[in-house]
Amino acid sequence: MENLILAAYILPSVLLGGILLGMRLFRGSMSPGILAGFSLGHGLWHLGLSLWVLLVLPLPHYFMESRYLFVDQLGIFQVLIASVVFILAALYSRGYVSHLLSNKELDIENLPVFYIGFNLLLSVITFAFFSNNLALFWLFLELSTLFSALLIATLNARDNLVAALKYIFIASTAMIFAFIGLIILFSLTRQAGSPGTLNWDELASLAPLLSPSVLGLSALLILTGLLAKSGLVPLHNWLPAAYAKAPSVVTALMSATVLNIGIVGILRLSALLRQSQIGETFSNVLVGFGILSIGVAAFSMLSRRNLKKLVGFSSIEHMGIMLLAIGIGTPLAVFWMLFHTLAHSLVKSGLFFSAGIIRRQYGSDRFDRIFDIFRLQPVAAWGVIMGSAAIVGLPMFPVFLSELNILIQLGGVSVWLVLMVLFFLLLVASSFAIFLLKAFTRSEKNTDRPVFRTPLSMKLPIYIIMAGVVFLGVCQPQMLADFLNQIVKGLGF
Amino acid sequence: MLENIPLNDILKILLVLVLVTSSLVLWQRSLTSLFKTYALQSLLVALVAMVFFINDGHLTLLFIALLTLFGKVFLIPRILNRILLQMNIRRDLEFRFLYPVSSLIVSILLIFGVYQVFSNLMGEVMPDRLFFLGAVIGVSMALMGMMVIFSRKKMLTKIVGYLSMENGAILFGLFVAELPFILEILVLIDLVILVLLVTVLAFGIDSTIEDFHPRFTPLGEWFKKK
Repeated sequence: MENLILAAYILPSVLLGGILLGMRLFRGSMSPGILAGFSLGHGLWHLGLSLWVLLVLPLPHYFMESRYLFVDQLGIFQVLIASVVFILAALYSRGYVSHLLSNKELDIENLPVFYIGFNLLLSVITFAFFSNNLALFWLFLELSTLFSALLIATLNARDNLVAALKYIFIASTAMIFAFIGLIILFSLTRQAGSPGTLNWDELASLAPLLSPSVLGLSALLILTGLLAKSGLVPLHNWLPAAYAKAPSVVTALMSATVLNIGIVGILRLSALLRQSQIGETFSNVLVGFGILSIGVAAFSMLSRRNLKKLVGFSSIEHMGIMLLAIGIGTPLAVFWMLFHTLAHSLVKSGLFFSAGIIRRQYGSDRFDRIFDIFRLQPVAAWGVIMGSAAIVGLPMFPVFLSELNILIQLGGVSVWLVLMVLFFLLLVASSFAIFLLKAFTRSEKNTDRPVFRTPLSMKLPIYIIMAGVVFLGVCQPQMLADFLNQIVKGLGF
Repeated sequence: MLENIPLNDILKILLVLVLVTSSLVLWQRSLTSLFKTYALQSLLVALVAMVFFINDGHLTLLFIALLTLFGKVFLIPRILNRILLQMNIRRDLEFRFLYPVSSLIVSILLIFGVYQVFSNLMGEVMPDRLFFLGAVIGVSMALMGMMVIFSRKKMLTKIVGYLSMENGAILFGLFVAELPFILEILVLIDLVILVLLVTVLAFGIDSTIEDFHPRFTPLGEWFKKK
């Protein structure tokens, strides 16, 4: 039964891979519509399965004798976010990928590779969130880099290859150091009298017995890998290039889900180290890197001309806010950090979906190529305006609530830090405002520019996200608050 | 700790040779020689695993040795050479930030730095000097591999830098603590897949503009209707 649950999660990806390989042998092919439909079905299956796990299984639930895999509240929360974003991305991909093909940006031969990578990415993300063992978590993190890079590289452009390789080299190089950190941690647990373990639950009980200095070295090495995976400063260089070049549907998925794996890893690591003597030092390190990430992102956003790069830097900023909240480490800060992951994932995917329509219309993401947007692409225009308002944290949007509460919690650490972060957030808001004013107020005399007829499959995800974001901003269901409280308690904050 | 004195000596010799291959990776210009150096380095890592297997008798160590031998001494260098044959390049002459001599000096400083940090921190975890030295060399190799990634221009050279880093991590694992069997194997397989993908992508970057073709991806080629 237990293994069936895990098999059910991986089944659609394996099925798709098998069908496409079989079709290759029999010289058959599948239309982009069918592949998008299959992916949509995969997403719905995944969501249904995750809801079943949440409602039926007593959590945390451990799989296999080795307990290498488990489902806990935090894992299933993130998997549910991934399911929803994947469903929207699969729906969006129907019209988007067809246009990539007709525009010769994607070769028809690369279509099966794209959809296999797309579906496998969801499976890999799921298993990363379900990993109780740190080495297995490391492995799925690596695989998420692999499939994301594959998806970035499927487009026919040399720049895409450069972006994909940059991502792989930065993330994987940092992950090698994380691997060394894992080995040190494993040897430390042996010293503490255990046969050696990297399971989160067992590490939590062993943490107070581990040598603080060596544990600190190991934690810093692991953090290096996780910082790179979350796109945090100083290992953030891959992110803007990868986001700017990747197909928008992939960028949405990466921004809303892949980045979360790294930040969840840091959250679990921080929860673990709180049990040891170095917990406070580690928290200070996280606060430092968090503020650094917000600051670097804020200044980098000031002169951005490319919409996807601007939104990409905003992801670095938001990952910084989440890291800051983990560093503050109060139950309320962690509660709002979790809420922030949900809000950020939704808003960011909506922004990238809108940016994708703009790219289809103008063939570019640069502000100086955008004209008459309200006439040509009103849905995308309102999607970007609303997304920008939400992501900079204007009232009535969910990011406002999480940022406000995280800042209140930061006030308990230092008022100066609050002022510094507020200044950075102001810079971020100005960058978005400047970009929108420059890009969305231009019109051209030549009115016979061909209009990209945006299919409903590309508009619908934006409508759904807009509705979801407004709903989360004005009323937060008690059920969600209770669930987040359970996660915070489960982590020991 | 190794009880057997000859094995102890063999390990010391292997460690020195591994370090020599790491420095060769830093400044070699010919790509074919670079791949050969990497194969030799991997062979030395496989031999280290074999020495540990002879001493301990843990089957995990034998599998690591065999996988390293098959994957990194034969398979990966062969793939790299095949890709190279299809490109119009033979050498990587460009260096950034660090040139051969300066990179060697930085490497020596790095080894001393790692030694110092580990003396202060890891001494209590690893009282045995040889194992301590193995761990220091493993981490230094990883750092030297990173230097290759940042200081060389061609993607194929960067790939060898990454592979060298990964050899360093495996060596570190052999001397500090081997992970459970299934995890070791999964990690090795993952690294091989990663290298395969990067190699395929690198073909599109390192080849000259004339050679660059939209259908560069062998993966896509595979799905192409004949």
